[in-house]
Amino acid sequence: MFQPASLKGDSPTPIDEGFRNKYLFLYLIIIFLSFIPCIIFEYSYITLLWNDGFFLIFFLLIPFNILILIHLLQLSAILFSVLILTILNLFYNPVEGVFSRNLDDKNYLFWNLRNIVKKWPLFTSASNPFPWLKNRFVLRFFGVKIGKKGICDNSWISSEFVNVGKNVIIGMGSTLLSFGIEQDKFILKKIIIDDDVLIGAKCIVMPGTHINQKAKLSAHSYTNIDDILLEDSIYIGHPAKLKKDK
Amino acid sequence: MQNTDIPQFKVDYISTSGVYKTPFTFILIIQLYFGCLVLLALNLWYYNDLYFLLTHESFLSNVLVGQFWEWILLPMNIYGNILLFAFSIILFSAGVFKILNKLCPPKEGVFLRGSKEWKYTHRRFWTIYFPIWLARALPLPWIDIIVYRLFGVRIGKNVVAYEGYIDPQFVEIGHFTMTSLHICIFSHLIYQDKIIIKKVKIGKTCIVGPQTIISPGTILEDGAILGANSYTWVDQHLKGDLIHVGTPVSMTFPIQSIEESQQKADRVKGTSIENDVKNIKEGKND
Repeated sequence: MFQPASLKGDSPTPIDEGFRNKYLFLYLIIIFLSFIPCIIFEYSYITLLWNDGFFLIFFLLIPFNILILIHLLQLSAILFSVLILTILNLFYNPVEGVFSRNLDDKNYLFWNLRNIVKKWPLFTSASNPFPWLKNRFVLRFFGVKIGKKGICDNSWISSEFVNVGKNVIIGMGSTLLSFGIEQDKFILKKIIIDDDVLIGAKCIVMPGTHINQKAKLSAHSYTNIDDILLEDSIYIGHPAKLKKDK
Repeated sequence: MQNTDIPQFKVDYISTSGVYKTPFTFILIIQLYFGCLVLLALNLWYYNDLYFLLTHESFLSNVLVGQFWEWILLPMNIYGNILLFAFSIILFSAGVFKILNKLCPPKEGVFLRGSKEWKYTHRRFWTIYFPIWLARALPLPWIDIIVYRLFGVRIGKNVVAYEGYIDPQFVEIGHFTMTSLHICIFSHLIYQDKIIIKKVKIGKTCIVGPQTIISPGTILEDGAILGANSYTWVDQHLKGDLIHVGTPVSMTFPIQSIEESQQKADRVKGTSIENDVKNIKEGKND
């Protein structure tokens, strides 16, 4: 979908301010490394085709060159960030729970680190002009399970602790948050969304919600923390309540 | 009024607008290829000249005279190419859009997944996807309105439609209307395997507040104001010269002048402060 610039952003991954500058090198390393395959590709393209008799082919293949370049940048960004993520997970494995929001807490520290590592691939996929290999493709590499035949490319989905089933429609500009920050507490809880669920536009799904099969969440509503939405029912409101049939 | 043959939709909840990826999505590659070919045809002689100036060789056999001052044109050439690329793709896909409309004229109603209408709405969406992206990426603020006008959205004079999602068919926006950030104007909704299409009409001098959703079938009369963070139900009718607020819209307020509302606020403030002072003097806390 063609979305406005404000919806083009990557998924919500706030990074602690006291932390940002200290670990900026991680972010810069991924950017630097991800450009290397692109440079190799461009170099080989020019050296192979910029010869006598091949000039016309050189120019005619430029559109495909652009297409491949954009997707190559995205793929290499994913590759290097996943590499660093696996190393980080060896040091500390992500766990669900309620923690204190303090950089001395290992859970909070490593959550921030993971966010800083995921930022560049999510940004490149979000600002990609083509509808292929978007949001959902990248999130699958970070361990988010997203089923087939869905619509979720112009919504914000947290990059961990999210399970989305088959044939799920997630509306325009809605957010799935698997984390929450409250005063000095930090919450990480899994969101489970079963098959055939429909989430309307501009909804907010809070951490710990479990949406059962065929449930519908109407537009512009939000769920509470640890909510369970029943099977084959309609939910409306702030926060979402069951709509009873008349 | 004009759609008496279509039955009123009974909708339990408001969903969202969106499209699936279909094989027709590959029209994007054709659009990209067309834009690049236009650039190539118009720029080849110029870059041939520059190449000749650099290396004294040329990749085209018939060399034009390479002059030194041609380097000065390079910045202009780059800016011109960006505009040329965007406009050629926009015009090309407008042509494709017209052909699609001829093949299957857009209709209002409820359609099942896999039907002809369903297919053609998807096709129309994918033809518009790339031009709108380009228009939003260009630094000219009025360009996306022009693109919307080319693709069947009726937008009047002096309309502010800076940032927000607007469906590319069955939307009418009158003169001097203002839309804010993060709005969604939907003329179609998806319900798992069905889509509902209905016309949206926004009158003259309306204001659509930020973070709002306008569902299909809504009519905003001239001068109506939709408050921030509210949304309209399907087939809702908002009367003119009033402020409408609610999720979904349920309350209306009269439009006041600034002086009037200021006076009201002062009055409320004054009374509350006087009461507080009285309470404190009498020794009543809380």
